[in-house]
Amino acid sequence: MLLAVMRLGSNAYGVTVRREIESATGRDISIGAVYATLVRLESKGLIKSSTGEPTAERGGRAKRFFRMTADGAGSLRNTHEIILKMSAGLKGLQAT
Amino acid sequence: MGHRALRVATWFFSWLAPRSQREAVIGDLAEEYVARASTASSSAALKWYLRQLCASAPPLLWIRLTRTTWIATLGVALSGYVAVAVVELIVNWAIANSSTTGAVAYNPLGMFITFPMVVLIGYIAARFRCAAAVTLAAMMLLSVTAMTLWATESVPTWYRIAYFLVGPAAIFIGGAVNSLRPAR
Repeated sequence: MLLAVMRLGSNAYGVTVRREIESATGRDISIGAVYATLVRLESKGLIKSSTGEPTAERGGRAKRFFRMTADGAGSLRNTHEIILKMSAGLKGLQAT
Repeated sequence: MGHRALRVATWFFSWLAPRSQREAVIGDLAEEYVARASTASSSAALKWYLRQLCASAPPLLWIRLTRTTWIATLGVALSGYVAVAVVELIVNWAIANSSTTGAVAYNPLGMFITFPMVVLIGYIAARFRCAAAVTLAAMMLLSVTAMTLWATESVPTWYRIAYFLVGPAAIFIGGAVNSLRPAR
């Protein structure tokens, strides 16, 4: 979820985050699951949200944009480093 | 038919979603529905919308329960209350089975055995929600008061005083032990 928010940059909101994860994983993910995770990440201070302008295509409802905080970026870097360290040299992970 | 189903589903979504996320969730779904209806068919878009409703219900309810502090606190306190009642029943049953007369009424042994278990329940409740231990202690105090006021049989004074103190005190101790944990 954090990676999706990072990739989308200033255009990260429910629809785009859901599509990003769906296209990356090939799984149909519910909007409720997306928001449950985003709310949890926001309460941990890893992302921040702001309200956009209402648009007609959304029935006059505003978007809620999410962006990564410095803590979120640090946490993501940490996790990435750990994954790289632990997977280094593992032959079973290489594509055949 | 399609429009009515969509309206009902939207109403359900607005009921499920927490107030802070409601507008964004409904707006996101409306945006995706319009996009799907324009590329595929309205019925396919409606099916997707209804599938989203079913799949989103548990996580959205979870956000509501965990973000609405008083409901979560009350839920934890009620669970603790049930746990205390179960512990008391088990202890009384065990004492009745082990004694030759089968008498459990006004047995101080029951209180001694129950006390640490109630402390543990208070500790666990406070770990879930800080205010849950206080709520649980208040609930116990209220129920003991009600039972004392409406009790028809004569109860020894020592038992009445002990009953007033032991349960709530045990819960308070459990909550206090939890507050001694170092903050993470």
